[in-house]
Amino acid sequence: MPLYVEKKPEVLITEDGVRTDGRKPYEMRPVRMTVGILDKADGSAFIEWGGNKILAAVFGPREVHPKHLVLPDKALVRTRYNMAPFSTPERKRPGPDRRSVELSKVIREALKPAIFVENYPGSVIDIFVEVLRSDAGTRVAGVNAASLALANAGIAMRGLVAACAVGRVGDFVVCDPNHDEDMWGDADMPMAMLMEAEEITLLQTDGPMTEEQFREALKLGRNAIRLLYEMQKEALKRPYQVVERSVRGVV
Amino acid sequence: MSESAILVKNREVVVPGQPLAKGRFKLGRDVYRDESGIIRAKKLGLADIKEDTVSVVPLSGVYIPKEGDIVIGIISRISGSTIIVDIRSPYQGVIPIPRGRATERVDMRKYDLKLGDVILAKVKAFDGSSSLLLTIDMEGLGKLEGGYILEVEPAKVPRVIGKRQSMLTILKEKTGSDIIVGNNGRIWVRSPSLKELLALEKALRKIEAESHVSGLSDRISSFLTQELSD
Repeated sequence: MPLYVEKKPEVLITEDGVRTDGRKPYEMRPVRMTVGILDKADGSAFIEWGGNKILAAVFGPREVHPKHLVLPDKALVRTRYNMAPFSTPERKRPGPDRRSVELSKVIREALKPAIFVENYPGSVIDIFVEVLRSDAGTRVAGVNAASLALANAGIAMRGLVAACAVGRVGDFVVCDPNHDEDMWGDADMPMAMLMEAEEITLLQTDGPMTEEQFREALKLGRNAIRLLYEMQKEALKRPYQVVERSVRGVV
Repeated sequence: MSESAILVKNREVVVPGQPLAKGRFKLGRDVYRDESGIIRAKKLGLADIKEDTVSVVPLSGVYIPKEGDIVIGIISRISGSTIIVDIRSPYQGVIPIPRGRATERVDMRKYDLKLGDVILAKVKAFDGSSSLLLTIDMEGLGKLEGGYILEVEPAKVPRVIGKRQSMLTILKEKTGSDIIVGNNGRIWVRSPSLKELLALEKALRKIEAESHVSGLSDRISSFLTQELSD
């Protein structure tokens, strides 16, 4: 007998578009981003998004080990997405599994176009995404945090990468699906964009959508990503503004 | 040619990808021009606009060697004909030990190094990836005896030195110490006593934290006076 039984809500979204957590279809859950919280990493960030709590750490560019992985003309980018055993309602068996290997790849490929890998030949940039608490949309939250950690590490980038998921529940296209919508919704589409060019670096779709719904979802996702990008900029600049204010004696 | 415009304030904190200027400007360090001709920041740093050149002064990042740099290294391996040096960088430094007729031109006592020895070396050649050649075959270079090694973020080294060495002069005079700053962020210090060394360490942390706020030299100067007053 499982100790924890998931219960499907009777109504995922009401006729006038109110979701299980009270949000409107276009609304995002609350997001908070903090940069530079790990002392030993070259760059780090922490994101809280709805019930998600995710830590990202970047090491490098540093020497490649094992040596045979060295790329002579560019930096190697390695990513590890990992979920803590206590991050889910029921204990998750620690260690990599099919899902986390896929997400590691997807996150790496979402971030790599942003990095000037050719500036760091023969080195490696290691990105770690650690999910401490999961609540739907961990991969996109991870991309946002990892992008901040890369910038915090002082790595040369074309721009920040911001990410958000969109989905479909019944006839509604919804922004940032929550746990219920992730489990029992009709479609889920995580996406990431390299800002400010708004080049899509991640787009996955799970579940059917009409062309019209897809276009609407894309638009909704883009608007959410623009908002997240503003939050990322603010998060990166905040520590410097705090120091400046304290030095100048302004409260 | 499109219209020229500066899109940020000088010394403003900018993030990667942020537009800095468009039109007729030269590209300085850590910026790039996108397909539409806009100059954007490559790194998190301070926008630096001097006449017609747009740059970013990075606020963080590891040490990437440059030819001519002076670095403080720690001997990490000695294998036959070469000495491998850790310089806090993705790339390891290599010093070839002179052999044959080459030994007649150099002071061979300098090459009598052990694992863990601290040296002052110069970047002789760097191809951008695998081969980083260092030299100690110059006046003032070689093994550093005594003293302590402190570290700062490599991106903050220019602030520790200051314009025309102004900051370094303050640090040296206020603490009465001998200080050698390596471009790789290692700093060799010989202080009269522990008190000066600790004050110096605190001052370096302060420089790191406040480098983006103007008036840094004055603050460090009065900070050291205060730290060493009693």
